[in-house]
Amino acid sequence: MTRFGTKRIGGIALAVAGITALAACSSSSSSSSSSTTTTPGVTTQAGSIGAIPAAGTPSGTAGSITYGYLASNAPNWILPIIPAADNSVYNSFVFGWQMWRPTWFTWNGSSPAVNDSLSPVNAPVSSNGGKTFTMTFKNWKWSDGQPLGAADLAFTIDEIKAAIKESPANWANYVPGYFPDTLTSMSMPNSSTLVLNMSKPVNPTWLQEDIIDVGMMPAHAWAKASASGPTLDYTNPANAKKIWDFLNAQSKSVNTYATNPLWQVVYGPYKLTAFNATTGSFTMVPNTEYSGPHANPQSTFVGVPFTSDAAQFNAIKSGSVDVAALPPEDNPEIPSLKSTGYDYYGLPAWGDYFAAYNFKDTTGDFNNIANQLYFRQAMQHLEDQPGQIKAFLNGDGDVLGGPIGAYPQSPFLPANGKTTLYPFSISTATSLLKSNGWTINPNGTDTCSNAGTGTGQCGAGIPAGTKMSFNLIYNATSPITQEVEDLASNAKQAGVTVNLSASNFNFMIQNYIDPAAPANINKWAMMDFGGESFSTYPTSFGLFNTGGSGQIGDYSDPKADSLINASITSTDPAAVVNELSYLNTSEPVLWQPLRDHVYVWKTNVSATTPQAFENLTQYDPTPEFWFITK
Amino acid sequence: MSAYLLRRIGTSIIVLIGISIFMYLLLHVVFPSPARVALGLRANNAQIAAFNKANGYDRPVFDQYLTYINGLLHGNLGYSYAENQTVAALFAERLARSIYLSGISLLLAILIALPLGIFQAVRRNSLGDNVATSLAFILYSMPSFFLGLILIQIFALSFPILGFEASQSTSIWTVIGDWHDMLLPILTLVLITVANFSRYMRSSSIDVLAQDYIKVARAKGLPERLVLTRHMARNASLPMITLIGLFLPALLAGNLIVETLFNYQGLGLLFFNSLQKEDYPVLLAYTLLGAVFVVLGNLVADFALTVADPRIRLA
Repeated sequence: MTRFGTKRIGGIALAVAGITALAACSSSSSSSSSSTTTTPGVTTQAGSIGAIPAAGTPSGTAGSITYGYLASNAPNWILPIIPAADNSVYNSFVFGWQMWRPTWFTWNGSSPAVNDSLSPVNAPVSSNGGKTFTMTFKNWKWSDGQPLGAADLAFTIDEIKAAIKESPANWANYVPGYFPDTLTSMSMPNSSTLVLNMSKPVNPTWLQEDIIDVGMMPAHAWAKASASGPTLDYTNPANAKKIWDFLNAQSKSVNTYATNPLWQVVYGPYKLTAFNATTGSFTMVPNTEYSGPHANPQSTFVGVPFTSDAAQFNAIKSGSVDVAALPPEDNPEIPSLKSTGYDYYGLPAWGDYFAAYNFKDTTGDFNNIANQLYFRQAMQHLEDQPGQIKAFLNGDGDVLGGPIGAYPQSPFLPANGKTTLYPFSISTATSLLKSNGWTINPNGTDTCSNAGTGTGQCGAGIPAGTKMSFNLIYNATSPITQEVEDLASNAKQAGVTVNLSASNFNFMIQNYIDPAAPANINKWAMMDFGGESFSTYPTSFGLFNTGGSGQIGDYSDPKADSLINASITSTDPAAVVNELSYLNTSEPVLWQPLRDHVYVWKTNVSATTPQAFENLTQYDPTPEFWFITK
Repeated sequence: MSAYLLRRIGTSIIVLIGISIFMYLLLHVVFPSPARVALGLRANNAQIAAFNKANGYDRPVFDQYLTYINGLLHGNLGYSYAENQTVAALFAERLARSIYLSGISLLLAILIALPLGIFQAVRRNSLGDNVATSLAFILYSMPSFFLGLILIQIFALSFPILGFEASQSTSIWTVIGDWHDMLLPILTLVLITVANFSRYMRSSSIDVLAQDYIKVARAKGLPERLVLTRHMARNASLPMITLIGLFLPALLAGNLIVETLFNYQGLGLLFFNSLQKEDYPVLLAYTLLGAVFVVLGNLVADFALTVADPRIRLA
């Protein structure tokens, strides 16, 4: 799982898992339909708001299409191996992937899955009990005419190893003990086949959609230690280090992105022709050697940064940007968008929103309270998601009941994940607490009156007289503030005293994550900084497994550990479904509503496939399919 | 004079060293390491340790400070790990833009506010004074963000005669020549500053008009024009000199709000973004540069006062 934290409060969550950063916003909907429907002229989809024009065919000359984003997210890294400090969807999806598409392109429109036609490598074939993977390359070419092949991925992997050896922070996806630590050998039976041998089994979908979901580097052009130096044998670790040092330094030279010959060797749909390091704007022209599908003629892609949501929305109102995200606070303006010349489409960005429990906080025996499933279920019953969506999200959101929501529709969504298993009901929450040994004191504070571990008792480590009172530290932005206030108000009616304490995102993630700040472990019981995003293979590995590198409140459950381990090691596609299904019932965190991520585009912008608009909601633009109609 | 200058410079250096220590300690007390913010939530302990080592955050704070100061003395402002550029390069790209936006706005505001304040003082309680006072109160109480939005809506969206955003060129000469796009951000700053300055100038002018030397000048039969320009304006401007001196740091800040609203990449916005990303090298350099501007502003104001009022002597 990848986490996203709201780096921009209130709205943008930063996702990072396989490389993902997410902004938040949300969706909708609430639409009740359950499948994609196509009507003449438009495509709508379950859980979405807005509509997408039917696929069109370009005619005439190619145009130039501008794409808006916040200047604070402007690209500042170009090398496909992305360090943790530079890992964002903007550096990867929006910028880098236009030049170097990942081995397997996710998303497939608004479906969290691989889009085969946009992927230069066929799906990996697993063998040897999940420890060997054979990958075959399609007949794609680099922009200089050279074939894209196994050597390029092998070169990329060797450089990842060199980068990590220099610093684990040099590759964002790196988790010690996992890939590439587990890679025992690579072989190339032929120029278009690469075989990876691992020391332990790896789920093939996890490998495909998260672990090795990287842009590939040209071995014939980049395997050198200086601009004019000879091509080196990158399989030699000493050479690999020299190459890494050279490429890393080039990628840090932001002002030369458009002029450095290295970056002109691409296999993606675009080549960079202009880059402004001050503003973060860029211009890309079609790569005439691109081997994948695209509109013909193909438009020029222009990235236009805006210094604020307000500036971006002003640009939308003035009609000066072709495609852009609608700032969440401007969702109420959606009805007027059509009259200003824009179409729109919104869907929850992939990931989840939640308030975390601290399972190590001994203040008032909260650790023991949080360990009780009935308590976590009761808390979820006190979370009025439909009411919050209506009141705080302009109606543009979806109920969330587990690590992934019903929308976007994942092939791994378990049967019990279409909505929350514990819907809003103060009376149900009250009954749960009462039936587990708590004396209910509505608008006061409940007290454990029947201590013990038996049926109908409060549970292990909760002495008689314990008060149901704890703090919740939250990221004081909209809509988080309103959501936690609503939760506290509802909880009070059940006698659960939630003491709210305002903070900010940066402070919270530095001071209230148990593994990172053990000294503060008794300073927070719950916290709400926003949410996180996943790779499209939705295992919660890292976040909910015991000792996971992304743990927040030290959730630990042997059964969850076992299921998560199966998700990343088993070849059974059902493994991750089982994991999600269990986490839907076990409530490791308090789930909160998903928010629609809305994109707008001018009505004179069309695409050869509706998916080219759908994937905008996941920060995953494919501008090679866009064109201007008039 | 030279002794005074040396003393002021010496004092300024001490102040700057104090500010640098204070800022350095403050940042490191609140967040000993920005690693978690810089690397993201998913960063594991190995990555955080590597980041801290690479940036020196694993060393004692005082040791880090000495390294930083040593770099400063060698002209090295540091390297922004959030922007992948040197701090000097980031500042160089934006400084001229911010100085232009704030400088031209300040200049225009002075040119408008001073005569306006004098006019209001001379025509105290007249219709013109009351209208100007009312407008000043409205503008002064209006957040620049709100005023900017109104101006954009009227002059760029409803009646599209001006640009909705500032010039996007990175050439300062192009920016200076782009009145179509620069007028609204400049106007936003000018209106708010005029509202501020004109009130000070009016008040100061009223005080001066009540002075005996004004009465004497009039009693001697000096033409009113000369009374106002030679005797009143010069003396009434003295408090304004101090006020304007204190505005010099705004040249650095570049008016963050206006930059944000009008899509203008300046130093203020750089600082704001760096704050969100906890980009320590940029934050420290910006704060230090701000301190330099404050010290300089005061120094310039002091010298300007001696020029404007020969009775004031530096000692």
